[in-house]
Amino acid sequence: MTDWLGMTPNPRTPRPELRARVLARATQPEARGGRWGGGWLAAAALVALALGGAAGYWTRATIAALSAERDRLAAELAAVRDTLGFVRGPATRVAWVPVTTNGRLGGVTIFADSATRRWLVRCEGMAPSEPGETYQIWFVTAEGMKRAATMTMDERESSVMAMAFDVPSDVGLVTGAAMSIEPRGGSPEPRGPMVFHLRL
Amino acid sequence: MTQPKRLSQEDERTLIRRLKVRDESALAELYDALAPWVLGLASRILQDDAEAEEVLGDVFVQVWRRIDQHEASRGPLVPWVLSIARNRALDALRRRRRWWRKAERWGAAQRLEDDPADDSVPGWPVHREVHAALAALPEEQRRVVLLAYFEGLTHSEIARRTGQPLGTVKTRLRIAHGKLAEALKHVKDWLR
Repeated sequence: MTDWLGMTPNPRTPRPELRARVLARATQPEARGGRWGGGWLAAAALVALALGGAAGYWTRATIAALSAERDRLAAELAAVRDTLGFVRGPATRVAWVPVTTNGRLGGVTIFADSATRRWLVRCEGMAPSEPGETYQIWFVTAEGMKRAATMTMDERESSVMAMAFDVPSDVGLVTGAAMSIEPRGGSPEPRGPMVFHLRL
Repeated sequence: MTQPKRLSQEDERTLIRRLKVRDESALAELYDALAPWVLGLASRILQDDAEAEEVLGDVFVQVWRRIDQHEASRGPLVPWVLSIARNRALDALRRRRRWWRKAERWGAAQRLEDDPADDSVPGWPVHREVHAALAALPEEQRRVVLLAYFEGLTHSEIARRTGQPLGTVKTRLRIAHGKLAEALKHVKDWLR
């Protein structure tokens, strides 16, 4: 009867700590798919978790990038619409004046919407501002020149600069525009060399 | 020779019935009685403590999950558990494919088997009876039995290993099994 040959080897008393481990392992609920199935399930779960994490990270990064791109495009679209509003507005007057700064010939285009009291000024081909200086635009009114905006042309930037701004409510009827060179930060009234003076 | 202390067949049936109704204390009792023999058998086959302990765990997992497959009519519980242990250990041995190295260690272990062991372990008297039955076999028959049982070799593999004709191997195995069955026919009950 070879069934009993299994008792031929000397018995070996297992390490005491093995008992609880073996019994716990034996009586735990059987995983679906068996021993290897459980392993595969665990591996699949880990892979899914890793993929999920990577997908989540990628999704968040993509959403953030797309949101930033959307905001940038929305801002650009708003600017384009604003510009178009100037061009197409029935109360908009357009003036262009050639300017020479430091021997360089450029030009300034002014879109002045009297209905909305908004201006769009576009400078092109002007010499960069000297250090500590800026170009300052003035509203010409019956009460004199009022501060409009300052535009500092930087050597490193494009030679084209556009700026939109409102005509303040305390500024009366605007009859023209002017530009002078003033200290960086602007002046309360024109003191520097006048670049142009234009009636609208 | 000391006769093994045995439980009656009714006691064994009770234990099996408790296992089948998922009585965990019954599994613990079975472990206490059989774990040394399962570990001894696995260690003998694998010659590797860590792998033998792994087999020990596998065996009791399988016993717990497949106790419904045990048929009392086909034999007592102990040989059934030991056959699971042997199959598990041989599976591990085959997976490793380190036959020759293991054979060398097995040869060394043969010498170590003569060392005295803890005879207080339950089932020790049966162990002695099996040894006596094996020792009563002629050397050439004992060798083919051990190669088949502990190394899981097929008849052809035993023939190649021993340099004997295949027919001779089969004949020796048949005769040896007959003698063992006769010598151990009284060992039928659960033991403790």
